[in-house]
Amino acid sequence: MLDKGSIISNISDQLRIKRQESARGKTHNELSNTVNSQADALKVKNVQIKQWADKEQRAEAQIHIRTKAMDAATDGIFIIDVKNKDFSVIYSNQAFQTMVGYSRKDIIGKNYFLLYADIADLRIAEEIKNTLQKDESFQGEMLNFRKNGDKFWNYLRISCVRDVNGVVTHYVGIQTDVTLMRRKDFEIKEQREELLHVTRVGKLAEFVSSLAHEISQPLTSILSYAQAAYRMLEGKDSQLQEILQYIINDDQRAAEVIRRLRSLLKKSDPEVKPIDINKLINETIELMATDVTVRNKVIKIALEPKLPNINGDRIQLQQVLLNLISNSLDAMEGRDEFRELSIRTSLNGSEEIIVEVKDSGCGIPKENMKKLFSHFFTSKPDGLGMGLSISRSIIEAHGGRLEVKNNPEGGAIFYFTIPVGGGVKEWS
Amino acid sequence: MAKKQIYIVDDDESVRRSLGLLLSTFGFQTQTFSSAEEFFSMVSVNDSGLLILDIHMPGLSGWTALQRIYAGIKRKVIVITADKNGGLMERALKTGAMGFLQKPFEDNDLVNLINKVY
Repeated sequence: MLDKGSIISNISDQLRIKRQESARGKTHNELSNTVNSQADALKVKNVQIKQWADKEQRAEAQIHIRTKAMDAATDGIFIIDVKNKDFSVIYSNQAFQTMVGYSRKDIIGKNYFLLYADIADLRIAEEIKNTLQKDESFQGEMLNFRKNGDKFWNYLRISCVRDVNGVVTHYVGIQTDVTLMRRKDFEIKEQREELLHVTRVGKLAEFVSSLAHEISQPLTSILSYAQAAYRMLEGKDSQLQEILQYIINDDQRAAEVIRRLRSLLKKSDPEVKPIDINKLINETIELMATDVTVRNKVIKIALEPKLPNINGDRIQLQQVLLNLISNSLDAMEGRDEFRELSIRTSLNGSEEIIVEVKDSGCGIPKENMKKLFSHFFTSKPDGLGMGLSISRSIIEAHGGRLEVKNNPEGGAIFYFTIPVGGGVKEWS
Repeated sequence: MAKKQIYIVDDDESVRRSLGLLLSTFGFQTQTFSSAEEFFSMVSVNDSGLLILDIHMPGLSGWTALQRIYAGIKRKVIVITADKNGGLMERALKTGAMGFLQKPFEDNDLVNLINKVY
């Protein structure tokens, strides 16, 4: 028989067990709940991972297709990282490599501007750098060089790549080889210029012809007056006769210039002979000596000794020299502080002789530089505007160039080149 | 001996005056005219004398004057011109001129030519 106390303890035991059982049940429920939710989370994660993987695969596919596309492009494409201060290329496509002639290995990490050798136009390179450093995009054409030294015209566009904050992180460049187009443009331009030249020379010939007529008239009367006076003074005043003889000589010289000018424009064959250019310069200076002294100027010469002879028309070349010297004298006219005119010759390599006529005048205003060699352009009140254009045609017919630059120390420098062993062609 | 008569027609006053002066120093009798019209109105076809005729003139040109002279009587003419186109000399001689000189010319060349033809 159970006593009262044991019954009570039995009951409390049972109660405890029940309580324990219920607690256990509760724990079990909680556990299964946790498991369930974790399983759900896992499912979500799985889906997410699958999505990410898909996304990544798509992204990879996109990168792949973009890279393929960039390599298929016919324009050169490259990317420069801004972090590298030396404009080093971090990506280049196939067309870029073909254009510059370097392999990708040679290009990556190299300064973009060094890919074109030292002979590329540094001025434009500087311009591009400055533009980019201002976070602006660049567009322009420049002459570049392939690895093997071949020239090509590069139509280049570079723009800035920015991050979310608008900070420039990269530059992306596209470049097109426009050499062929350029050449075509150049040919068209050349043909047009040739046509213009023919027209201009035609007009010039017409003009010179009427001019020559007008000048020949007074030359005729001056000559006749002087010859009449010379005869009248026969046996009376030999000193005056001597002066008259000078007038007669100079009249004949002027007539000779007109005659040559006419024959020049008549396309007559030049008289080509070997010429010692230094000797010709000395003779020309002698012709100008009186003029130079009267104008209170001095001519300094620095002639390179033992220059090879050139082939040319003596009178045509002398005409050029006379023209350059007399222009230089005009440039210093009426300014006593500008007195010195210098003439230099030198040999450029073994191929050409350079003749330089330098004055110490005020130089040539920038706006006149381009027009200087066109027919009928003149800055002198009594000028005809023909001297330099004819001079240039003569020099070009001799296979050389006639150019001008301002001397940084003041004055203008006109210089022409004549090839050694060249010939002369008709110039109109 | 009477001096040889030379007529000079040139529209350029300086040219005709200087030529007149020059030829007078060689002992010629000279008379100048500023146009062919003036010459025709003042000099009779019967007056003797050689004509020095410029070609390029306003009004009656040297060519027309030359043709007119040779359509009528034969007067000796020397053509002078400052123009320089090929064939001028041939044309002048064909039209009846006795001589042709390109301006500017030497005194001796002119005088020799005059003495040769006149």
